[in-house]
Formats: sequence, structure tokens, C-alpha cells
Amino acid sequence: MANYEPPVTDYDSIVENCTCAFCGCNCDDLDYLIKDGHVVGVRHACRLGASKIMEDMDQRLMVPMIRGEDGELAETDWDTALDKAAELIAGAIRPIFYGWSETSIETMHHGLELGELVGAVLDNQATICHGPSLQAVQNAGYPISTLGEVKNRADMCLYTGSNAMNSHPRHMARYSTFPRGYFRPRGRFDRTVVTLDPKYSDTAKMSDIWVGFEQNGDYEFYNAIRAVLKGKKLQKEFISGIPKEDVEELAEAMKNVQFGALFFGLGLTHTLSKQRNIDIAIQMVADLNSYTKWILMPMRGHFNVNGFNIFMAFETGFPYGVDFARGYQRYMNGETNTIDLLTRKECDVFMVIAADPGAHYPGGAIKHLAEIPVIQVDIHWGPSTEIADVVLPGSFVGVEVGGTSYRMDGVPIWMKKAIDKPESCRDDEWIIKELLERVKKIKAEQGALASK
Amino acid sequence: MTYVDKPAIPKVVKFDEPNAKLRNKLDVMLNTGSDIYQGACKKRGSTLKDEYRKVAGVAYMDPKDMAKLGVSNWDHVKVISDWGEVVVNAAHSRDAPHEGTIFIPKGPWANVVVSPETYCCCDPTYKGIMCTVEKTDDDVLLMADLMRAVYKKYVKDEEGIKDLATLGEMPVYKKL
Repeated sequence: MANYEPPVTDYDSIVENCTCAFCGCNCDDLDYLIKDGHVVGVRHACRLGASKIMEDMDQRLMVPMIRGEDGELAETDWDTALDKAAELIAGAIRPIFYGWSETSIETMHHGLELGELVGAVLDNQATICHGPSLQAVQNAGYPISTLGEVKNRADMCLYTGSNAMNSHPRHMARYSTFPRGYFRPRGRFDRTVVTLDPKYSDTAKMSDIWVGFEQNGDYEFYNAIRAVLKGKKLQKEFISGIPKEDVEELAEAMKNVQFGALFFGLGLTHTLSKQRNIDIAIQMVADLNSYTKWILMPMRGHFNVNGFNIFMAFETGFPYGVDFARGYQRYMNGETNTIDLLTRKECDVFMVIAADPGAHYPGGAIKHLAEIPVIQVDIHWGPSTEIADVVLPGSFVGVEVGGTSYRMDGVPIWMKKAIDKPESCRDDEWIIKELLERVKKIKAEQGALASK
Repeated sequence: MTYVDKPAIPKVVKFDEPNAKLRNKLDVMLNTGSDIYQGACKKRGSTLKDEYRKVAGVAYMDPKDMAKLGVSNWDHVKVISDWGEVVVNAAHSRDAPHEGTIFIPKGPWANVVVSPETYCCCDPTYKGIMCTVEKTDDDVLLMADLMRAVYKKYVKDEEGIKDLATLGEMPVYKKL
């Protein structure tokens, strides 16, 4: 057995009811233990949330940096770094502003204004994770509820293509499976947990039912369930590697619950059928609603990835991949999305805010980032810093600065400030606002020159 | 219910499987995705450290596949796909059995071999990539070295990358 660490007792103060800045669960019951202006312990958080909040100060970006001729990053002052970044942005023909999912709505507000001014593409992490889900929602509808409904009512929780125990560790504990709800007084014992996943994942290990259909078999499997729900007889003996009797049994079980919740993850969006997988899952939920109540929810990854989509849909009408190159907003899948723009080598300046493309983009897309200037606004030295030309150290939303974020079910939550940020860092909001001012100044000078 | 039985997970890699034949190369399907150890290390910000190489630069394999290839835990394997090749550690998957499938947690190592093809759906194909795995003596690179070796953004002499000193596990920049 692992050696358990003793509880942290050496701290100055506790800040209660903080919101976790990790995944789309936005757990808002965290207590931070503070000593000498640092978080030394976190109560109630999962392994992921606690490790993010008790960050690695070795790799914290503390000072603005510019990459010199020799290819090494060199410390500089804020004015020089911001001027350099503003100059790059103002001179760009096809800039992309990517990221936003780990910062506040307030920051996005200024980012949108900057994007509109210079004709940029604004995109967030949805483009590499739940983008297909948003397309499917546009195709087939969005039968969603809040997580509170799930907690109080659900007697079947179905995880598909999602390993909640690894990527949203408190999702089952706080919202879906284990908590005692108003109509589910016995918690876990009143619920059935089903996992549909080719992998025998950690979530599957603790489910009542695991259906391990074959890789890329999602579309066929949901279609088979739909057919059974509509009273059809299945013609094939095996559906995606699962015997047809078992498919029928599962469909029957799904029909006979009082409230079912389907949570889906990147297993659906990253396989070959992409948004069609989710189309069919949404239609399956629609069919199930002829018998009983079912809802569906994407398992969003970052704490504000849903926030960017909601904010952009509200402001521009489109959820992500919004292109202002023509002066008005456009959105076209496969055309105005970051990965496509990079693999087509269209982009000429790339600004990344609170995201890590170096760690999460396919190599084919990063190869173009190696050819163009990259501006990074982030809190940690990561793979993206290795390919960044201007580095602007931001601050940690939810720990060092307050901000609004949206939970995976679309509930807005205010994340409060608990400690002060390092002196040499700045708020993301301030950085983007400052860039906007400087770009405006450059554009005004250019305009004055042109009119002469 | 009569669903596929939950399999028991073997604790040791068996090299003397009677049906397994030792081979140099294995055709497998690669899946990538998040994993709690990789997630915790990445989000803490410890991406330059050896710890990140251990949790993200690793291919979780079925013990039977490992036996066929003749590798044990923390041996190095080279994963080759149509999009690139990368050296990672091999490790016994805790989700086994899944013969013919390997899992590399998302991160700079997995990125080298995944497909950037979006099929006009904005999302690259991170799962279900056909690749081959072979045993190798090459080292698994640290994150900073890997980024330099693969993308060569600030390298003047591309041939001499192998001879350059490692960038290490701490941030390197010129202070004022």
C-alpha cells in the first residue's frame, strides 16, 4: 500500500467555499489552507483539483519574456513585452486567439473586442475536445438539465466514452452516483451505473454494468438501441461485438428507469464518426423520452470551456471557431477552426491564452506553430513555452483573482480570490485590456498615416 | 445481466505464455486520452520534470502484447505511425486485457503520432490510430528536449540536435 501523507496542520488561515479551477464540475465547496501567501493544502478537492491549486512554483511563469535572436527566452519589462505582442497582433493578417477556457468571462470580453478589431479567429479548447458535441447540439437538440436534478432524481447514470474517475474524479461523488438526493435517499444503492466504453476503464470497474463494445462501434451500438426502442427486431447476432440479447436487455433497462442521465466524453468526439456519434446519442435520448425522462450532458474538460461557448454564442451567435477576418463573424466547421487553419498553414500570428497547444495539439498542427510567432499568456512554463516568442505571465483564476465561470451544465459560478498573485504577474484581464489599448494606438497611427 | 464478464487483472507480466511468440514488431491500435496521473502532473505545471515523462511518455500495453514483444515495465519502445515516431516507456496497463490496443496519455509524446486529420469536423483524430510498436534502446526524451527534437523551432543546426545538451528539468531563460 502507498504511504499516506499526514494531514496538513501547519497553516495560517483557511479560506472556505472556494471554487475549483480544474474541470467542468466546478466544485464550489473547497477549503484552501493558506500559509505565507501560498496554498499548502486543499480540503474536499480531488487529486486533480488539489494538484492544480497547490501548483509547482518551480515552473510558475513570473516575469514577461521575449525570445531573442539566439533562440533563448530573455526576461524583459512589461512595457517592452506588451509592445512587442501588440506589434505582432496589429501586423497580423490572419491571427488566431486560442485558449480562454482557463480564464474568466471578464477576460474573454476584452479578447472579443480585440479579435473584432484585428479580424482574428477566436477559438477555444472545444475545437479539440467537444466541438463535435456542439455541432451535434446544433443538429439534433440539447436535452440537458442541471447537475442538481441528476443528484436528486437520477436512478440510472450512463457514462459513455468518458472515464469520469480519471478526468472528472468528483463528478460521481458530488453530482451523479454517490450523493444522497431528495428522491434517492440511499445514494449509490438507489442508482444503476452503466459504462459504455471499449476500454475497461476505472469508471467501468466501479459500474454495475460495463458494455465493452468494439472501437469505433459507438454509432452502430446507439442505432441498435434506437431500433430496439422503436420495437424493431435486430437482424444481426452481434452489434459492435455485443450479443443482440444484451443490447435488448440494456434498452429495456434504460426504458424502465424513472430518470436517466447520459454523460458522454471524448470517446465519442475523437473517434471516426465524430459529431454523428453524438447526433445519434441525442436522438437515442429523444427516443427514450417517449417512455421516461432522460437527459444528456457533455463532460466538459476545463472549468470555463463551457463559459467561452456560452459567452461567444451570446455575443456573436456562434459557440467557437468564430472568424472576424471579414469584419463580421463567420463560423464554418473545417474552415475557421484552429487545427484546420494550422494544418493549412493559414495563420500568421498565434496568441494562446490560458491553454497549452504544445501539450494537446497533434504534431501536424504544432509544426506550423514552429514557423510563426507565438504569444503565450499563461501561468506555467509548459510545452507551449518551448515554442513561444513572447511570454506574458498571467494569474490564476479562482485562486489569485476572481472571475465568472460556467459549469458543464451551464450554471454560472463566481470564483472568488483567495490569495494575492506574485508581484511581477498581472491579471489576464489587465493583460488583454492593455493589448487592446496598444493595438488601438498602433491602428490609429496607421490610420493617420494613411489619411495623410 | 449477462454482459461481458469483468476480467480479472493479472498482476505480473508473464514472459512464458505458451501461445505467445516473441517478435520484433507489433501492429497495434493507439488510443490517447486523459489519465489521472498525467492530468495531475500537467495541471500542477510540472511538465519539465522527469515525473511528467513517466506519466505522459508511457504506452500502457496489454501484458500479452508486452510478452510478445519481450518488454517489461519501463523498457523503451518506439511507436511509429503515419504521422511520426516517438520513443516512450512501456508499462503494464491497469485496464487490461485489451490485446492489440495501446494507450498513451495525452501530452507531447502522444501528439507526435496522432493524426491531425479533422475530416472537416474541427476535431483531430486522437483515437483509433494504426501504428507499430518495436523495442528500442533509445532514451525517452524529457519534455523540453522532445519539443526541440520534434519541432526544431529555434535550432540552427538540425543535424546536430542529438549532440545538444539536455534542456533539463527547470525553466531556462536569461534573467535581467
